[in-house]
Amino acid sequence: MKILICVKQVPDMESRFKPDNAGVWFSDTDLAFRMNEYDEYAVEQAVQLREQLGDAADLTVLSIGPDRIVEALKKALAMGCDRAVHIQDPAAALKDPWQIAAIIAAFAKDKGFDLIFTGLQSQDRGSAQVGVTVAERLGFACTTTLVGFAFADGVITAKRELEGGVKGVVKLRTPALVTCQLGLNVPRYPTLPNIMKSKKKELVTIPVADLLHEEALAVTARFYPPAKKGGGIVLEGDVGDMAEKLIAILKEKTNVLR
Amino acid sequence: MFLELTEEQKLIQETAREFARVELEPVAAQLDQEHDRGPLLANLKKLAELGFMGLNIREEFGGAEAGTIAFSLAMTEIARACASTAVTVSVNNMVCEVIQAVGTEEQKQAYIPRICSGEFAAGSFALTETGAGSDPSGMTTQAVADGDSYVLNGAKIFITSAPYAGVFVVWAVTDKEAPKGKGISCFLVEAGTKGLIIGKEEKKMGQHASATNEVLFDDCRIPKSALMGKLNDGFRTAVGELAGGRIGIGSLGLGIGLAAMDYATHYATERSQFGQRISNFQAIQWMIADGYTELEAARLLLLNAAFRKDSGRTFAKEASMAKLYATEAANRACYAALQMLGGYGYTQDFPVERYARDARITAIYEGTNEIQRVIISREILKNFG
Ligand SMILES: Cc1cc2nc3c(=O)[nH]c(=O)nc-3n(C[C@H](O)[C@H](O)[C@H](O)COP(=O)(O)OP(=O)(O)OC[C@H]3O[C@@H](n4cnc5c(N)ncnc54)[C@H](O)[C@@H]3O)c2cc1C
Repeated sequence: MKILICVKQVPDMESRFKPDNAGVWFSDTDLAFRMNEYDEYAVEQAVQLREQLGDAADLTVLSIGPDRIVEALKKALAMGCDRAVHIQDPAAALKDPWQIAAIIAAFAKDKGFDLIFTGLQSQDRGSAQVGVTVAERLGFACTTTLVGFAFADGVITAKRELEGGVKGVVKLRTPALVTCQLGLNVPRYPTLPNIMKSKKKELVTIPVADLLHEEALAVTARFYPPAKKGGGIVLEGDVGDMAEKLIAILKEKTNVLR
Repeated sequence: MFLELTEEQKLIQETAREFARVELEPVAAQLDQEHDRGPLLANLKKLAELGFMGLNIREEFGGAEAGTIAFSLAMTEIARACASTAVTVSVNNMVCEVIQAVGTEEQKQAYIPRICSGEFAAGSFALTETGAGSDPSGMTTQAVADGDSYVLNGAKIFITSAPYAGVFVVWAVTDKEAPKGKGISCFLVEAGTKGLIIGKEEKKMGQHASATNEVLFDDCRIPKSALMGKLNDGFRTAVGELAGGRIGIGSLGLGIGLAAMDYATHYATERSQFGQRISNFQAIQWMIADGYTELEAARLLLLNAAFRKDSGRTFAKEASMAKLYATEAANRACYAALQMLGGYGYTQDFPVERYARDARITAIYEGTNEIQRVIISREILKNFG
């Protein structure tokens, strides 16, 4: 079974974001990067499937971006993927979901993948479009927002998270693509020996120009941080007064005190 | 000059940081106050399974072969969350490294994989005695050859991890007549050996979860094959291995110092007095500036010492410099952090008093900072006059 896992490297979400010089995305100078959280669920699920299927499974991890994203690929290799594909693109952050999906689909076409795992969305762009668009372009069955996954006799049973905590179960045959949500699994920490061994696994680099022949459909025009909010309500006066005021506010605006 | 970490080093740092945040940080205060070792031992096991006990150990013995820079990064991240866990990991790595450096093939196979895998929660490094602290060559514990065994008699003190160590690296006098330091040998003693007695545990100022015990040898008989390295050459081994350990202790200090500064700086941006955040006061700003500047210098000293060790150069002087500076910077950072929290810093409701207590010992163990200065100046003076 040939499995593809698509991962993205995103900034640590604790970072302070500043617009880049063109004002269309954030500046990546001085940011710390890590693997997109949802993609970690994707990698973990693929590795668990590999543990179920043994050597019958072959895991390729793919990422698009500048050279620094090799770190995310190596993490996936250290977690248990077999080989990595780096689609080299210093300007990946400026591409829209349509183009990113087109690149992945162009790579995956004719490679005989049975199953593709992606994250539900990226933590920085958050479009949630890439996975489904890849499935559409490849003609794969697709389901999203996975919180449960099982595979038996060629059939995937996917538990999906719907609004308000309601769950749904979907069955689909391969070839298929699924997008992974928080709660699907607890991603393993890569062990140190496996991190070191990731150096020895296959890592193929492909220039993005070899795969991309699509124009952007939705170009990001502007990136800006929200206006600074006021500092909330500041109570003043002596402690007794402030306590009175606080109780009044809590009664009026919340359910904490009745 | 290239000051970028490799991808592998970054991933190891990230793994250590995540593990520390998720698994160590939430239990650190409890470990400090309740002296309950359960969570410590459970976390040591998990850290071993991830490969943190043999960062600089060859793969064939279950190590990660990740090098000293990775070791330094990992120690710092672990210590940010829990210094007691960090010192145990540091000593375990040092014990594995001594065995890898001077052990026979059988000794390496017998013990290193068991520490690396977590089968042994720890290994102990038993050098110090009541009469031989800064001057370990003054030790009196003896090993006397008797047929195909050695018989150990004597007492060690301040031995980290002794109650849960699976194996002890023990130094003892094998030639009483030899000049100072020339008659000491190194042995491997398994926990449970008859005559190996774990004595009283010290009640310490900090690093509470890490046990520090007396270890006694009462006609403790070990096979001749327990000798590690050459007969009467053990002191040189101890001195050499402690230099590597110092990179670990300096990195540990750095982690505690960073934790303290991060906590206090965050606090300063929230605490108001005189109608404004205290971070608006220059007095506080200078504590922040000095604290982080010194810790950054410490980080670079540590990475330089680690880099020299990994590239096969001499590194004893640099390791001593890094240990000296990092642990003193860490202590200053902890006290500044405590000051920034005012009275709250002095209470156990906030972690800073624990950081200050935990950091204090880093200026003392694995060679007091006075001894580091002795080593550094000796190395420098060699080149003059
Ligand atoms: C929590 C803890 C854990 C430890 N873990 C271990 C362990 O696992 N294994 C182990 O073998 N040991 C361990 N030790 C022992 C530790 O390494 C020693 O305590 C340390 O080396 C200092 O020795 P001492 O305590 O005898 O102090 P002393 O040597 O008595 O020193 C007293 C003071 O005199 C100063 N001094 C001594 N000689 C000189 C000199 N020549 N010049 C200037 N000043 C000098 C010292 O710097 C110090 O300020 C541990 C200690 C503690 C407290």
